[in-house]
Amino acid sequence: MTLDIPAASTRSSQAPVDLAPEAGRGRPASRRSRRAGVVTAVVLTIVCLLMVFPFLWAALSSIKPTDVAFANPPVFRFAPTFQPYVDLWQTTDFYLYLVNTLVVAVISTIVALIVGLPCAYALSRYTGISSVVLLVLALVFRALPRFAVVLPMYDISQSLGIYDTTYALAGALIVINQPFTIWLLRNFFAEIPPELDEAAMVDGCTRFGVLRRIMIPLMGPGILTAGIFVFLFAFQEYLTAAVLTDTSSKTVPVFIATQLGQNLPLLQQASAATVLLTLPVIGIALIAQKYLVAGLASGAVKG
Amino acid sequence: MKRRQFWALVAPSVVVMFGFMLVPLYQTLRWSFESVNYGEAGTFIGLTNYRAALGDARLGRAVLFTVGLTVVASAFCIVFGYVLAALVNKLGRARPLVLGILLISYVSPQVVGAVAFSWLFDSNFGGIVDYLLNAVSGGAFGNPLWFTSTWPNRLIIVANVVWFMLPFAMLMILAGLQGVSEETLEAAEIDGASPLQRHLYVIIPSIRGVLGFVVLILTMDVIRVFDSLIPLAPQSLTNGNESLMVYIYRVAFSEASRNLGLGSAISVLTIILILILLFPSIRNIVKEARA
Repeated sequence: MTLDIPAASTRSSQAPVDLAPEAGRGRPASRRSRRAGVVTAVVLTIVCLLMVFPFLWAALSSIKPTDVAFANPPVFRFAPTFQPYVDLWQTTDFYLYLVNTLVVAVISTIVALIVGLPCAYALSRYTGISSVVLLVLALVFRALPRFAVVLPMYDISQSLGIYDTTYALAGALIVINQPFTIWLLRNFFAEIPPELDEAAMVDGCTRFGVLRRIMIPLMGPGILTAGIFVFLFAFQEYLTAAVLTDTSSKTVPVFIATQLGQNLPLLQQASAATVLLTLPVIGIALIAQKYLVAGLASGAVKG
Repeated sequence: MKRRQFWALVAPSVVVMFGFMLVPLYQTLRWSFESVNYGEAGTFIGLTNYRAALGDARLGRAVLFTVGLTVVASAFCIVFGYVLAALVNKLGRARPLVLGILLISYVSPQVVGAVAFSWLFDSNFGGIVDYLLNAVSGGAFGNPLWFTSTWPNRLIIVANVVWFMLPFAMLMILAGLQGVSEETLEAAEIDGASPLQRHLYVIIPSIRGVLGFVVLILTMDVIRVFDSLIPLAPQSLTNGNESLMVYIYRVAFSEASRNLGLGSAISVLTIILILILLFPSIRNIVKEARA
């Protein structure tokens, strides 16, 4: 028995023909449905290109010679160079910022899951009013303006002497993303029939045993999904990182934003940094697409 | 599940979430009644901060801009998201690849996406958009002041917000489309409903719940938009495109005065605004959970 990820991609295995329109399935493809298929393909190709265009343009700028990188009108014929990447690596602390970003993302993902899993399980099984109240409060917390929480955190972290440390930032992100984490995990738990828990408890398992021995193994894909989301949220975060860090635990998004007001070579290094930060994200989007879709879809079904 | 077990299991998360959220929230509430500097205890000044906030035209402009942005961007996301979802829903083997590509703008850091976005428009950095549009229109397009003029700036802000929220709306609606009953659709087709009629009278009503949820999340996320406005609206103080979040940030953190009390008062007012907007959906969740 595996947790059924309600992936929007499940249907992909059924359609035999690439880009085949739905209406054409099961009967000889008529000329009309084939034309609809071509239109679909053309429109979606254009949309896909538009959606990645900002990053393509940044990537192009990053490999142009510095004097024409941002020339107006744009230069399309040039000898590609990787000098901005070399400079980025050698003259700035990009490496440090990248490590900071990863450390914050990994710590906050692991802790958020450990803390969130039991809570989400309990929320999916307990039918009392406190369960509803907690879920609604979590929703309200998710909607709060960040500064109402982050500015006091700045003040508190300064007085505790943990300002500008990676673990303070990771801690803040765990707290800020906890509402999302428990909502998402709770929706996945709710898809597992409670009869399973009862059967295990009849066999002598405790509640905690059910969670550890049965639910967590079953929840593999769900936990992975939540983990990917929390990781991406931490990886993306600018506001919290901008307020809670200064120099030693700065993250890449903050670095890129501060490079904006700089002069040309630094700006081109920012485009190189953009490429280096976006490439892994694009990798995640393509490889883990199924989990991202499932995570978003689960919210829709239950919301 | 027994009550004691429930509380034992939720305890760590509740401590993390409530402990570390409520303490800062209480702090913000207290600061909003105080005149205060970072790292020092404030002095109680009653409603002075609120009076200052409500008396400043800047707040009204920020609220109008933020609400307007939310409404316009959400509307575009819903419409384009629906069309995209209907198209992706027809895809066969290409679907995972297309979904992966469409997700990129949603999963990349907003601030980084907005920086890349700003380079497309900034004539100091190539201005590829101006260049392409002028190439097509024969120069009639000119060079709009994307960052300093009010409306061109609004246009690129909306475009950017739609760019990074569209994948989310599309995916949610796509998930909703999977649940539309095939039989009803076939029945409508047999009865002679045109494709447009099938969308308007069968599909859209049956995914109403999903659309409502998408609007809720879009509202919550667009009101809070901050990261992408830093690179895209640098002139927002003068061109009137200052959002609530940027306003709070400037007043409480980045402007020389660092008026934490005033910033906190605006935060509290924003919370009230958000609670009012969230109220209908909160009522729905409670109703659904009770049923």
